[in-house]
Amino acid sequence: MSNYWPWWAGALGLAVVTINYTVSTDRSFGVSSAWDRVLHWREERRAERLEAQFTDERALTEALAAATAEHFGTRPGPTAPPYAVDTQAPDRAVEPTTATRPAPLVTQAALLLSILVGGWLAAVTAGRFDLRLDMGDGFREIVTDSPPQMVGALFVGGILVGFGTRLAGGCSSGHGLNGCGRLHPDSLVATAVFFGTAVLVSFLLWKVV
Amino acid sequence: MRTRGGLLIANVIAGLALGFTVANIGFGDFAELNRMFTFQDLRMLGAFAGGVALVVVVFALIRVRRSPGRIHKGVIPGAVLFGGGWALSGGCPAIPIVQVASGYVPALVTIGGIVVGTWLCRWVNARYLRVDVGSCGR
Repeated sequence: MSNYWPWWAGALGLAVVTINYTVSTDRSFGVSSAWDRVLHWREERRAERLEAQFTDERALTEALAAATAEHFGTRPGPTAPPYAVDTQAPDRAVEPTTATRPAPLVTQAALLLSILVGGWLAAVTAGRFDLRLDMGDGFREIVTDSPPQMVGALFVGGILVGFGTRLAGGCSSGHGLNGCGRLHPDSLVATAVFFGTAVLVSFLLWKVV
Repeated sequence: MRTRGGLLIANVIAGLALGFTVANIGFGDFAELNRMFTFQDLRMLGAFAGGVALVVVVFALIRVRRSPGRIHKGVIPGAVLFGGGWALSGGCPAIPIVQVASGYVPALVTIGGIVVGTWLCRWVNARYLRVDVGSCGR
């Protein structure tokens, strides 16, 4: 039954995804924060619009400063405001702000959709795709074999996952891979705690159910 | 890759690769997951821990920027809830997507739970908890 990858292939895959994303975008990715932002798309769109307006205003200020300098024939000297420098080196001046700004909302929706496509490709190519109305033998044996209880367990578990990951500020990808990779204290604590709790609850499932 | 289009491509690549990898490791399989959390089978544990270790080493080698981190009040209670939910439903926020993609229809219920939980977190935090920056998307 197990045509899953050996541990080292999985480790390599997870590491390559994380490192490639960090190097190419200078950001961390997190699936739970993608969910959060996509689900709060109204607020997020409003925030993005404000952000765009802010950038426009800065561009306007720069243009006005340049026009003023040209009109009065004054060269931007050492006393000139710092934004005058921007016109000479726009890339270097803009980069720090864009690097810390969260990735646009569309890209987060694309991340979630791509996970679906990637998972589907994996299931189909490994011959594992199987349309079914249960969660597999493991779930039936360990948690419950009644469909209503299964739906209840999945929904409650899902709420805990959604609420918990957002309260903690990340999940196994954001805290686990990206945050631990950067040795963030909160990520190290979060990963130890969620893994420890999952171990505890997994053993409890054997005893209780 | 820091423009809007570049970020979109980077996220699509990351999503495809992450979904493909997570599904092939077997995270979508509840039996495998329970075997990992109860240390009966160390294969998936090795994949996750090995992945984290590799990232730590490479990030240190290429000197990835580390923004100052501190532990906010939501981290521990949030991680406890998340760990419990993961062990019960078999889903971290990416896994139910992979499960649906593998044909597990009930994983849609898990996704529904995640949607409700994510909404609840912002709502509850705005009204009652007011935990901290870094929690519930604030």
